[in-house]
Amino acid sequence: MYLALFLFPWMLMYAVSTLAMNHRALFVDLYGPDPAPFQMERKAVYDGVFPEHANPGAIARQLLASAGLQGAHGVTRRTDGTIVVNRHDLLTPRRLTYSPADRTLIVEKMSPRGNAFLERFHRRRGYATGYRLDTLWAVSVDLVIAAMLFWVLSGLWMWWEMKATRAVGASALLTGVGLFVLYLGAL
Amino acid sequence: MTFSHINRRVHLYLGLALLPWLFMYGVSSVPFAHNQFFNQRDKTKGLPDWTLRSARPLERPVPESAAALRSFGAVLLTESGIEGTNFGAYRQSPTQLHVYSYTFWKSTRLTYFVDQKRVVVEDRRFRWDQFLTGMHARGGFEQEGFLQNSWSVVVDLVCLGILTWIASGLYMWWALPDQRRWGWLAIAAGTAAFAVFTVRL
Repeated sequence: MYLALFLFPWMLMYAVSTLAMNHRALFVDLYGPDPAPFQMERKAVYDGVFPEHANPGAIARQLLASAGLQGAHGVTRRTDGTIVVNRHDLLTPRRLTYSPADRTLIVEKMSPRGNAFLERFHRRRGYATGYRLDTLWAVSVDLVIAAMLFWVLSGLWMWWEMKATRAVGASALLTGVGLFVLYLGAL
Repeated sequence: MTFSHINRRVHLYLGLALLPWLFMYGVSSVPFAHNQFFNQRDKTKGLPDWTLRSARPLERPVPESAAALRSFGAVLLTESGIEGTNFGAYRQSPTQLHVYSYTFWKSTRLTYFVDQKRVVVEDRRFRWDQFLTGMHARGGFEQEGFLQNSWSVVVDLVCLGILTWIASGLYMWWALPDQRRWGWLAIAAGTAAFAVFTVRL
């Protein structure tokens, strides 16, 4: 019970975000098929110096640190040398574009959309970013997974312990299992 | 019969009926959360992901609109002997169109190389982790067919079921005065941790 009370915000988020993702077509009707656009937040000349032969990853981390935006990100280097850093912020994703030719750094933020926020939350996982908070989040996701499996097993055990509910419970369980098996074979 | 009794029964029977889905979503989250592990493990086998099924010449204009592209994809699949599966058609580049056909057990990729005027059909090697993640990610109402859309209705039911478990679970906890103090602590700790993740991630 206490585990469920602790994890209920995660379950709430996963349920609501799945509803939004299952009805993505409604949001496409509302916003159109393209992802949310970016809006200019600031533009400045970046006067920092990068180490010689710095790879895009190191440049991205330095740019993010100087902009006060450290956290999970992806980085690409275009053929003209421009570095594009996508900061995977849950609430406000940002794009940093650094042009070495004129040393300008443009910071743009993504326009807010409720369904996109929920989808970002739902898909956030993994231990690969190297940031401590992301690792903690990944641990919490693993805890949710373990809790779900525990609830399945403990729920079955609690049901079996209540003799008065065995018959109706067995009907509910068999109906669910039967439907699931049907889908497994047909879809 | 009291409300408390009905609440407990709804919590239980809903859980039992939707148990296969809760189990599936739990187990299938493992390869999602640890995809690097599963990919590296599979890489050591040294097996190709895709196997060529057929290749044939084709010269046909590719439509622009999403709806027409989907119809075009359906025709290409039918001509390749693939029917009745879920599928999606995607314009990969000006010279390449991908049509993915998939069931829980089998995935096929059809690639139309517009500039080379040929269509290649490939089957994906079965992997348990991809079987699970495929089932986890299945949803939406874009496919044709009653059974396909009914799966998505069940996905909605599972979501509503989880919301019902949260509400009925909170009610059951509140009905146990001895558990309230520790319960409040668990709720406060979970909510605070979640709020920090929301703002700082």
